[in-house]
Amino acid sequence: MALRRSSAAAESREIVERQYPRDDRGLIAQLCDSRPEVRRHAVRDLAAHADAALVLGERLGVETEPSVREALFTALSMHPSEAAAGTLLALLRAEDAGLRNGAIEALGAMPAAVGPHITALLGDPDSDVRIFTVNLLIDLRHAQVAQWLLQVLQGETHVNVVAAAIEVLAEVGTRAELPALRAARERFSDDVFIGFATDIAIERIEAE
Amino acid sequence: MTASILAAPEITGADFLKFRDFFYRKTGIYFEESKRYFVDKRLVERIEATGADNFRAYFVALRFETTGAELQQLVNAMTVNETYFFREHYQFDCMVNSMLGEIVARKRPGERVRIWSVPSSTGEEPYTIAMYLLERWPLIDTYDVEIISSDIDTQVLKAAEHGVYSKRSVANLPRAYLNKYFTPNGQDGYVISRDLVNAVEFSHANLTDATDMQRFRNIDLVFCRNLLIYFDDVSRRVAAEAIFDALNPGGFLCLGHSESMSRISSLYSVRRFPDAMVYQKPIPKDNK
Repeated sequence: MALRRSSAAAESREIVERQYPRDDRGLIAQLCDSRPEVRRHAVRDLAAHADAALVLGERLGVETEPSVREALFTALSMHPSEAAAGTLLALLRAEDAGLRNGAIEALGAMPAAVGPHITALLGDPDSDVRIFTVNLLIDLRHAQVAQWLLQVLQGETHVNVVAAAIEVLAEVGTRAELPALRAARERFSDDVFIGFATDIAIERIEAE
Repeated sequence: MTASILAAPEITGADFLKFRDFFYRKTGIYFEESKRYFVDKRLVERIEATGADNFRAYFVALRFETTGAELQQLVNAMTVNETYFFREHYQFDCMVNSMLGEIVARKRPGERVRIWSVPSSTGEEPYTIAMYLLERWPLIDTYDVEIISSDIDTQVLKAAEHGVYSKRSVANLPRAYLNKYFTPNGQDGYVISRDLVNAVEFSHANLTDATDMQRFRNIDLVFCRNLLIYFDDVSRRVAAEAIFDALNPGGFLCLGHSESMSRISSLYSVRRFPDAMVYQKPIPKDNK
């Protein structure tokens, strides 16, 4: 038969030439290599270093190859530290939608590190940052999510931020949020979409 | 005791929709309305097991628990962890009818094709791959094919190399294959042929361990079915990256029927073949 059992595991090990040492400095140097696969492997090896968050975060700002970006987000997610969260939160202001979405996804997996920043982000002068912060809440496993959403419903003036919060509440809201939802509907009574979204959210919550 | 204490928690239509949206977003598994009974039953079991008062209390706890432990319990309850020969055979049909043809189109005759089955579990999948290749792939004598199979559980690896299977495990096998590759083992089961055992390289490996994964390179086709669903979000991404690096450009990845790579990573392209939808590591433009 032409099925072969390989005992030559060694032949499959070293594929990419190791031009630099695999220590911190060597790996960081490889982050700038011209070959994407070398940069990817460097990122994956750096993921084992919890203190590499800043370097990896900085690299996200310049890296354009999607496969390397993906490795960078994964590496940062593996160590949900203040440093990792800080570098990802900065990307909520990025023009590049891929960077923003990657950051939102990665941040959703680090509630303890992200939680202390949410109130400030919901007060950010940039309404886009406030919308992305609400988007982040839908997957954030944090006990204060409902409280933050209430803060948006009660105090936010930008209709799109409020709409984003109502969408999240349609899934996670309880009867406790019904008065705030009705008040938001009233406050934006001239906005058809807010009326539609709050009706759906209220209907879903009341059906329970 | 009153009747109300004995009554099982009720799952309303709105509860089902809310749960379905959440579960789909977290796992990529979508339950049609026809699965309502199945979903409700398992939800009620988990509500009772956790001591929650009702669906709402359970869902809030599930949504906001920081460890993800209950979500994992729920995933385990909602998925069927069972392995047998020829399970989800349409992907093996796709292997011999479509994927291997593309793979060898980039190789010279005699070159090696490397297939990785992970997790090996007790061997049903890698041995199914071996039988498919021997019986249904006309080019098997033109190329060397290497099947490697890994699992994190050393006990199942031992069982795989031992190669003894129950009647239930072989129930989907064509009779001719059973006669050709198995020997009855008393009343209860069958022993697989040593030729097949010797054709598969079993090894211990953890998909989320970077050092372990360095051994796996130049793979053309990966079967990683019904495994990632048991991982947490970060581990799932780490595993998807490890498989990506193990694959050759143009290599294919088969996930379980309820799993979706698009929920995990954007590294892969989707390929739709007549027999199955699979994932592919893109070929760099200058290599095409």
